[in-house]
Amino acid sequence: MKTRKIIWWSTSTLVGVCLIGLGLTLAQAQPPEKKAEPRKTGHKLTGAELYQINCNRCHAERYPTEWTSAQWKTLMVHMRVRANLPAAQAREILKYLQEDSGN
Amino acid sequence: MKIPSIVLSAAAGCAMGVLLSPHAAAAVSDEDFNALKSTVQQMDQKMQSLEQTNQFDEQKIQQLEQRLGETQAIATNAAGQAEAAQAKATPGPSARHNFTMAGDAEIQFGKTAGQHSGFALADFAPIFLFRANDDILFEAGFDTTLQNAGGPPGTGGGANTSFSLSFAQLDYLWNDYVTVVAGDMLLPLGTYNERSAGWLTKIPDAPLLDDQLLPSTGVGVQLRGALPVGENGQSLTYAVYGANGPGSVTGSGSAFQTPGDPTSGANLDLGGNVGILGDGTQQNLHSNPSGGGRIGWFYPWKPHYDVELGISGQSGEWDDAGNHLWSAAVLDAAVHISPYFEVKGEYANTWYGTDDAGTIHPHGLWVQAAYKLAGLDLDFPVINDLELVGRYDRLNDGLGTKTDRYTAGFIYYFTNTLLFEGDYEYLSSHGPSLLPPNNFVLQLSYGF
Repeated sequence: MKTRKIIWWSTSTLVGVCLIGLGLTLAQAQPPEKKAEPRKTGHKLTGAELYQINCNRCHAERYPTEWTSAQWKTLMVHMRVRANLPAAQAREILKYLQEDSGN
Repeated sequence: MKIPSIVLSAAAGCAMGVLLSPHAAAAVSDEDFNALKSTVQQMDQKMQSLEQTNQFDEQKIQQLEQRLGETQAIATNAAGQAEAAQAKATPGPSARHNFTMAGDAEIQFGKTAGQHSGFALADFAPIFLFRANDDILFEAGFDTTLQNAGGPPGTGGGANTSFSLSFAQLDYLWNDYVTVVAGDMLLPLGTYNERSAGWLTKIPDAPLLDDQLLPSTGVGVQLRGALPVGENGQSLTYAVYGANGPGSVTGSGSAFQTPGDPTSGANLDLGGNVGILGDGTQQNLHSNPSGGGRIGWFYPWKPHYDVELGISGQSGEWDDAGNHLWSAAVLDAAVHISPYFEVKGEYANTWYGTDDAGTIHPHGLWVQAAYKLAGLDLDFPVINDLELVGRYDRLNDGLGTKTDRYTAGFIYYFTNTLLFEGDYEYLSSHGPSLLPPNNFVLQLSYGF
């Protein structure tokens, strides 16, 4: 039991030192995510909002500029199947991604 | 001395001439002046007339430019309508093909109790996506790992590269509510299995029940889709499938590979019944396929605030003779409260009959919570990119081994897809197949 405690504390200390070391070598941090605003009643959800609702559940934001328009079309078919998204919502999200992809 | 008068007269005359000659030279008759004045007035009038004409011309040019723009818009619109009409008249592929590769890679450093620590290329998992049309996608995922090839004398050394198919399925978007999936499909038993890419899972090791109790894929066919409810993003989802189902390692319905010997390993094989046998014959290991499905409900009350609940299951034969069924029922739930906090988990209950040990009843659950420290709003670089995560696993394998696992970890987000994760796992495991008492992992994970 005592040995296990020693190992636990040693491991925790090592992790803490690693974290502090990482912090000291950092150049820049990502901005914090924007807080969600209350939704107005009767408001049709935009592609960006549907992205926040559906996609951010599972993964960090993938920026529209990461892929081309054609690639987003392929990726959204993949995501519509994988996440079982309603078709209309998937189309709105695709439109938002393609419009902001810049290519 | 007197100046001669002649000289004086001449001087006066010269002076007068000098004084009077400019005046005389500048003298313009009234006629000439009036003529000049008239000319200047005419030129002024002409100038004004030209300026008016120029303004009129500029207005005309602006009008013509506007009409040109309108004409171009009409022409573009007409071209688009013509194209749409043509596409409608001649059914067929309307989109160019597109090939895209996504996936992830993980590099680990870890130590398991009783073993040496070490680095490992834990996984390189590309996903190939080939879109042949607007409605057809073929996707396949692979896992690439390295394994030491050492062993008894004569086996040689070096490393083996293991390249295995994690899934390969054809997706056809039949309509807005039905998608047909066929192939080696990811199975919708719970949600972890379908949403478990290495850069998504937050803890490197999979939950015990997903790793040991449930099949991750099945060769078969599936119908799935989603029905939107209202305008706030709510939806009902469904998936129903038929697949070959689990099999038996030895073919028999015995609980263990060597009847009566737990150390020989369980005889149930969740992933081997792929439809083509070792001798090349194409057949199911047993006479009937398995069936399964999932129903889910997703309700967001605003972005980043949502709940998802699901119930799923599968049942079918597992031994070659078809004497016994393997069945599973899974409950899954996930809650997000703000962009910073989530809780999710699954409970799975499985049971299958055997020739020699009655009904085996493996079951388990996991609960995981994660909190992004950016929610503290401390405006400090390290804190804002850090997320803390914890998980509790409980597994009863139904063959005498029970395990409780407690995991505490962190994720540091270098970018949205480059993650540095670490966790410490403490296990309390009892029985013939007990797991190591603790495990420490650091992982660099990249999603692409």
